[in-house]
Amino acid sequence: MGRALEISGLRAGYGKITVLWDVDLHVDEGELVTIIGANGAGKTTLLRTISGLVQARAGSMSAFGATSLLGSSAARIVRSGIGHVPEGRQLFPLMTVRENLESGAEYLSRAKPNAARNRKLVFDLFPRLAERGAQLAGTLSGGERQMLAIGRALMSDPRLLLVDEPSLGLSPALSLTVFRALRQINADGVTVVLVEQNVQQSLSIADRAYVLENGEVVKEGSGRELLGDPGVRAAYLSL
Amino acid sequence: MRGLTRDLVVTAALAVLLVFLPAVLREVFGRASVSYLSLATNALVLAVLALSWDMLARTGQLSLAHAAFTGAGAYTVAVLFKLTGAPLWLGIPLGGLAAAVLALGLGSVTLRLFGIYFAIATLAFTEVLKAAVQRLPTAVAGGAAGINVPALFRPTFVAGSMERWEVAFLRNQGYFWVYAGLLVVAVVISVVIQRSRLRAAFTAVRTNEQVAGVMGVNPARMKLLAFVLSSFVAGLLGAVEAHRLGSVSPDGAFSVHTTVLALVTPIFGGLYTTLGPILGATVLAGIEETLKRTFSEGYLIGYGIVLVASILFMPRGLVGLGSKLFKRGGASASGTTGERA
Repeated sequence: MGRALEISGLRAGYGKITVLWDVDLHVDEGELVTIIGANGAGKTTLLRTISGLVQARAGSMSAFGATSLLGSSAARIVRSGIGHVPEGRQLFPLMTVRENLESGAEYLSRAKPNAARNRKLVFDLFPRLAERGAQLAGTLSGGERQMLAIGRALMSDPRLLLVDEPSLGLSPALSLTVFRALRQINADGVTVVLVEQNVQQSLSIADRAYVLENGEVVKEGSGRELLGDPGVRAAYLSL
Repeated sequence: MRGLTRDLVVTAALAVLLVFLPAVLREVFGRASVSYLSLATNALVLAVLALSWDMLARTGQLSLAHAAFTGAGAYTVAVLFKLTGAPLWLGIPLGGLAAAVLALGLGSVTLRLFGIYFAIATLAFTEVLKAAVQRLPTAVAGGAAGINVPALFRPTFVAGSMERWEVAFLRNQGYFWVYAGLLVVAVVISVVIQRSRLRAAFTAVRTNEQVAGVMGVNPARMKLLAFVLSSFVAGLLGAVEAHRLGSVSPDGAFSVHTTVLALVTPIFGGLYTTLGPILGATVLAGIEETLKRTFSEGYLIGYGIVLVASILFMPRGLVGLGSKLFKRGGASASGTTGERA
């Protein structure tokens, strides 16, 4: 199994502040990898740097064998097969569910021919979206918005999906639905990198996980190993 | 594509309506049709200006440079005739092109600016352009006094076969049709944006540039495209206005009043739509004329009150109000209550 993503010595930040310090990590094809950490640890910055929304200051990144991706525009990164579900969903509230989905494929020549197939996959995964296809995105519930945000990213036909805090603001039952969907997406062949504060649920579905503290990777292991790790249990599960 | 075809059919119907409107006004109002046609022409001018501004606003850019683009179109026509005596109709497309080229230059250097910073940069650009035109040699741009521009239409009075008011009517009718043509051009550009993948791209850039990036959209390219299209239409309008008014001067051509009208009208009618700016222009032109006739002194106070009230009570403009009333009517008719879930 090849490498979906390989990052080494990654440094990134905003203005004069450096948030990520020499981060090394890798994700194999077909894996579901979770990144956990406290608020401000750099989890979201890491995903934004991978998808080209934050410019890296040092390091290297390759995805599916394509090197020199670090420093590329977000548009080039998404064309290389990396989809991003941003924190806070960031939908287009005055466009319908169907239009929001179509927008995910519209500007990608690789994804556009597969739009009908991918839309069906999204509707199979989230039947609620199919029922609400003509409804404005701004009128959806929180859970439905998260489904739509994931669906829009899936329309870009990603080989690697970056998902930022999908359970934010959702009830435990809805969070479970979203995590199950991510597991299903991964089982269908999409590599997933998940950033999440819900440590228990995210580690329980992860093949592997990284713990990020103050912009550095401090622990790595399988989801099961980290769930049993006394340090992780004390810091993130209050056990 | 079905949506685009339907919109183009509606646009064609609008064009037919505009072709026959002067004849209908003349038939119904007789001598008074001159002032009604003048009012309709003002509404058309405002609609083209507002629609061109709205095209840019769809990418989230609040431009205060619309007077610069209409002014650029007007001065292109004026200088062209003064220096070369070019054919009468050539200046209009060249006016549009000049404005588009200026927008390309301004857009390229202001791409990284957002919100109020972009707005201030565009306002400053208008003032700089006005000052530059004032300082051009008088033999070229006419200085502060400006330049005369020949009229597009000069109907001649034929004693015995027509009345005096009919000359004014024929002249106004010519301009009305030219502005109607400009409105059709603007509407076609607008509906193509709204019914193509540009809509998603413009909306993404306006809503969140970073989301646009992860969709594969190049925000800089989209903002420039919107800027150029919007300015091209504004430049065409300025060029025709130069002919209609008969002269251009720096103070008139680059007036802040033009910019204010360009942004107030779509806000009043409904932003990010094709219908909103047209509806806003029609209603505002009507309100202004009514207030002018009712209160010859200080009518602008009443106009201002109407605008403030509309922003307070119709945050999504006339289009938003209309769709709200339509939904409410539909809900009560079907026995349901409340808004969409």
